[in-house]
Parts: sequence; C-alpha cells; structure tokens
Amino acid sequence: MTRPANPPFTAAVTGLGLVTAAGVGTGEVWRNVTRGVVSPSSVGPREELRGLPCDFMYSIGADVLDTAQRLGVAAQRLMDRFSQLAVLAAREAVADAGLDPSAWDSDRVAVVIGSAHGGIPFYDDQHAVLTTQGPRRVSPKIAPLTVVNGAASSVCMDLGARGPSMAVSTACSSGTVAIGTAHQMLRAGVCDIVVTGRAESVCSRLMTASACQMKALSTRCDDPASACRPFDADRDGFVAGEGSGLLVMERPEHARARGARIRAGVAGYGASSDAYAAVAPDPDGRGIESALRTALTDAGATPSDVGHVNAHGTSTVFNDLIEATMLHRLLGSAPLVTSSKAMTGHTLGAAGGIETALTVLALEHQLVPPTANLESLDPRIPVEVVAKAARPAAFDCAVKTSLGFGGHNAALVLTRG
Amino acid sequence: MASATDVVSTLMVQEFGVDPAAVRPEIPLYELRMDSLALEEFRIIIEGRLEIDLEDVSLTSRNTVGELVALVHSRTLG
Repeated sequence: MTRPANPPFTAAVTGLGLVTAAGVGTGEVWRNVTRGVVSPSSVGPREELRGLPCDFMYSIGADVLDTAQRLGVAAQRLMDRFSQLAVLAAREAVADAGLDPSAWDSDRVAVVIGSAHGGIPFYDDQHAVLTTQGPRRVSPKIAPLTVVNGAASSVCMDLGARGPSMAVSTACSSGTVAIGTAHQMLRAGVCDIVVTGRAESVCSRLMTASACQMKALSTRCDDPASACRPFDADRDGFVAGEGSGLLVMERPEHARARGARIRAGVAGYGASSDAYAAVAPDPDGRGIESALRTALTDAGATPSDVGHVNAHGTSTVFNDLIEATMLHRLLGSAPLVTSSKAMTGHTLGAAGGIETALTVLALEHQLVPPTANLESLDPRIPVEVVAKAARPAAFDCAVKTSLGFGGHNAALVLTRG
Repeated sequence: MASATDVVSTLMVQEFGVDPAAVRPEIPLYELRMDSLALEEFRIIIEGRLEIDLEDVSLTSRNTVGELVALVHSRTLG
C-alpha cells in the first residue's frame, strides 16, 4: 500500500523573536551571528559550575537583560528562567508579526513551546533547600515552575492565547519538532496562528556534572570563547547555552488576508527515530537522513533545490562527522552549511527554535552566516562549511536539521517568503 | 524590630509584585492576586524572615490583609 500524499502546505513565518547569548532581539542577534566573532562576555565560567571539568556556558548577562524589570515581579515569580526567556522572545515575535493580542481571535492562537530540561535550575535550588534546611522550607512551586510545559503556559498567560498549547520534548531536537508540529497543526486547520519554538536555560550543577561524566562537554576551560568549534579539526565537545528562539507561523490565507509581511515559509517537516541508542546517534546517520528525506518530500523539493543548511553542528566529534557525511550523501557538496552554535552555545531544546529563526533570516538576506571558531576544517567533513565571513548566495530553499539524545531526529524545509 | 504590618507589606511588594498603594487592611488577599499558591509561598518566606512557625495557621485568599497581619503579629509575640 502506498503512503497517502499530503497536499503541499507552506506555513507563513510572519514574526521572529530571539533572546540568546549572541544578543537580545533579532536585529542584534543577526548582526552578531553574521559577524561571526564570539564575544567573551557571552560565554564564561559560572559560579554554579565552579570546579567542574566544564565550568562555563553561554549565558545572557543581567546587565543586558533585566528580566524582573521586563516581566514584573508578579509574573516573574511564576516562571523559571527558561519560561522567562520564552515570554520575552514571544513578545518580540508577536510584535514583529504586527499582531495585537488584544484584538486577535485568541481561541485560534496556538502555542507550541517546550524544552528538553524545563526548570532544572529551580529543581536544583530546591533540592539544596531540602537537604540543608528540611522539607518545611521547600517551595510549593516546584511542579509549576519545572514542568517542560511551563514555557508554553507562561506564553499563553502573557499573550492571552487560548487555543491549543503544549510542550514538545525530544531532547535537543525539541525546537525543530515543535515547529514541525506547529506546521502540522496549521495544516490541519486547528489554529490560524501559532507561536512556536523552544526555550532552555540549564545552568544546573547537577546536570553539568553529569554531562561532564558523559564526556560530552568541551573542557577548554582556559579559553571558553573558542571552546565550541563546530566542524573544526580540534573540536572536543559541546558547550551549553541558554536562550529562546520563537516564530510566529500562520496559515498562509490568514497571513495574506491581514496583509502580513511573510518573512519565509515552512514548507516541509520530517521526523524519525534512530531506535539505536540512548545518547549516540546512529553511526551512519540513517535516522537524520530519513527525517530529511521526509521533509523534502513533504515540501515537494528535491535535494538539488537546497542552497543552504543550518546544521545541528554541535562541536562534538561524532555529531559533526555523522551529520556532515549524511548531508553530503543526500544533498551533495553544493549547499552552504553553517552551524551557529559557537555564537549561542548549544541551547539544547532551544537550538532548533533559534536556528530556524536564523535560517529564516538567511533566506531573507540571501546571506549564510559563518561558522564561528572554525579555523581548520576537519578533513573528514565532506561538505562546504562557511567559515571566517558571511557568504552572500542566491537560494530559495534551505534546510534545518536537528538530532536529539534518544535518537529523535527532525528536519525542516524552509522557502523564501 | 519592624512591625508585622511593615514586614507583610514589604514582602508582598518585593516578592509578589503587589502595588504598595493597594496593601490596605480591609482588602481581601485575592484582590491582590495572592492566590492559594502565593499564600503557601508567602508562609515559608515570612516564617524564614521572622523565625516563626505558621504551619498550623489556616490561610485563604479570602482573608484580608489586616487578618494576615494579625496572625503574623500574634506569632511574633509568642
């Protein structure tokens, strides 16, 4: 029996919101990412991580983002940091889309956001309270603040969005799966507008200690700004980062009817599971290849249409090699590949949200950002990785790939607006 | 030592974002958006701040600011 063919559906991307270590606000993030120079103030040691083999991460300083001032104490106290970053990115994305939350049909506005780890910093704090001060001092807010759907519910409350909402949690592919899920919801007609993407903030001593034991993190503690170096011959692991990247997507008829500026289209989505290992990706990249093939078919695109790939590119030895080998096998050597993780850190669940927003910007500007810190390409990497400087190019179709622990793979195909 | 009134109103403003002008004795706590979750959090914060025990005290958002202050005051005297 042949599989049913979905009619083509291109969701309109009408708004972007970015709150990352590479900048707060889409304009600032794009300027910094296309410059491709890691700011020393964006990545460095954290007190919570002192003494660990990896004691640094990418974060957004209190001097550049005063969350209490932006959100107000009453709202902020009901969110852990990942939810705070989500709300701020959502406000930017909705304003960028020219939408007025006091006037929209709120029952038709969906929210699909989540994260891999949710409010793990609050969980850490409260566990310390339990062990040092006893159960009578533990906060009653652990469940509402730490659940991975905290970001989605916080955004719904902040915007007054009353349509379906949910968290999607597939480890480091969460952002890409969230956007793919949003694409499917718009296609099914269950909403007109969806605020989607991911948020993450994992400055947790417990989680980082464990990731060090896994040998997944870079240990370049003497030079944090050069530690994350995707596709470089000297890469030694990923560096965590906090951030949020959200998109406003709409049914195309809805966007056109209100005269919205369509920044790009999400034309295809594919997801797959390795069914292989808890952490390691399938060594031949068969899972991510299957997800990308599905996404291309969903978009009615062929490999030769793809001009740009915003790769997962985590800076671990295996991910970058497996992913690049798969990209070459499926797409050939023509697409310009980049990884933005050296600018933002690996934001885990948020990665796909931030990087899909950057892919939208690349399509708009016809410009591929450089892979920061890539000095000496690993000779085994067979694709064209943009390094040193942003590269202008003409392309109508771009791809975003994500791989998550547990073997969750996802790919999106985006087109020019 | 600061009065119970001062401590209660300062905590509500600083920790819960309540408008200082709205903290008046006759106002029910729900009007200040002090719901049941906020009150349970308030309970442990004020216990820590004043080193008192409010575990057996019944608090609902229908209580007024004045009733809450009186409860706290009675414990600080004890």
